[in-house]
Amino acid sequence: MLLRAEGLCKAFDNITVLDHITFHVNPGEVVSLVGKSGAGKTTVLRCITGLEKCDKGTIEINGKYICSMEKDTIKRATKEQLYEVRKDLAMVFQNYHLFPHLTVAENVTLALTEVYKMPKAEALQKAKQILTQLDMGDKLDQKPFSLSGGQKQRVAIARSCVTNPRLLCFDEPTAALDSALVLDIIKIIRKLAEEGMGILIISHDEKFVRDVSDRILFMVSGKITQELTAKEYAKYIRD
Amino acid sequence: MLEALLGYIVEVSRGLGVTLSVFFMTLIISIPLGIVVAICRLSKNKIICNIAKFYIWVLRGTPLMLQIALVFFGLPSIGITFDRLPAAYMACGLNYAAYFGEIFRSGIQSIERGQREAASILGLKTMQFYRFILLPQAIKRTLPAIGNEVIILIKDTSLVYVVAVNDILRVAKSAGGRDANTLLAYVAAGMLYLAMTYVITKLFEVIEKKVQYEE
Repeated sequence: MLLRAEGLCKAFDNITVLDHITFHVNPGEVVSLVGKSGAGKTTVLRCITGLEKCDKGTIEINGKYICSMEKDTIKRATKEQLYEVRKDLAMVFQNYHLFPHLTVAENVTLALTEVYKMPKAEALQKAKQILTQLDMGDKLDQKPFSLSGGQKQRVAIARSCVTNPRLLCFDEPTAALDSALVLDIIKIIRKLAEEGMGILIISHDEKFVRDVSDRILFMVSGKITQELTAKEYAKYIRD
Repeated sequence: MLEALLGYIVEVSRGLGVTLSVFFMTLIISIPLGIVVAICRLSKNKIICNIAKFYIWVLRGTPLMLQIALVFFGLPSIGITFDRLPAAYMACGLNYAAYFGEIFRSGIQSIERGQREAASILGLKTMQFYRFILLPQAIKRTLPAIGNEVIILIKDTSLVYVVAVNDILRVAKSAGGRDANTLLAYVAAGMLYLAMTYVITKLFEVIEKKVQYEE
């Protein structure tokens, strides 16, 4: 099991946002969390990535813990432990959050050179390789403002994948894409899964979720209410 | 008349050394201190944040001339003595740190939270985030305001005449008084200030162009 989330609870100002969320993601598996706005999908993702602290529960990624329960007390990873966990995970944000002052190549190589201390030439080679796979090999020296939404997303994917994370999270990956680009992103995600990466997606794009996922989890008011396979989900949305 | 004006320009230029020394020393003191003020102002620790707020309020809320006079004439009464120029450096540096602090704070706060989150998930540590992501963007965004402040500083250096150091303005005043021709002496001083602000303006234009990128 690559990601194990167990009994996640979270409240903001006494309003329960997550209510004992339990699920897992296996290596090579694409799992989607679906639900209406306000169901708590984004909060789950933010807790998994350590951007938000959950009040209770266990999050284990590739054998390392972001938080765990000891009796009734939550034990959180220290800053240093969190840096270690984050070596195994990456996230593609809804708004991509590329660094606007850096070129495409610099955006992709930054973590390699500064976090993994890889020599610049080697990092650039790796970035070129991954950007070429994503049809962005000719955009290395461009700044993000000159890219379209789909191209920005590819750069964000390249930036996330270049460090070989085990778990890749996507926050509403199709929100800003037209239907042709959605097909492309499905292919990219499936390919990453085939290579063994675990993928966690939150989305409310039904067709996209149907075509990209292996398993689909429904969230309603902070709870996971149902779990379907891709086939069951296709039948569910058809009906 | 032109000859007389040129004569005054040459004479008044003798004050250039003091003016420029106050200018550069103020920048050397105020920019690093301004960064510290900005970081303290943004601190989650309420005490540190309030100390920074109080510092900014006092230093921005009282006249610079008063602060220079207070450092040079006031502090000796409690046993702290400065020479004339160091007193001017100190007062101007502390005063401008408050203004720069607020400019830097606005630059830091203008970077959206998402970039910080993206950087942290990539594994960048806080100092790396500051160095590679935040500062380059914050500097670019605050350059016009910094340029503005630096131009004001050139002119504010004239306030050091209150501690009787021979800056451009004081030299002009003495020369004009001596010859009973204050008009030309002050015009000469004005031309020197204009020349300096012109250089600073052009310098900032070049820097802004260099760091320009669309967002």
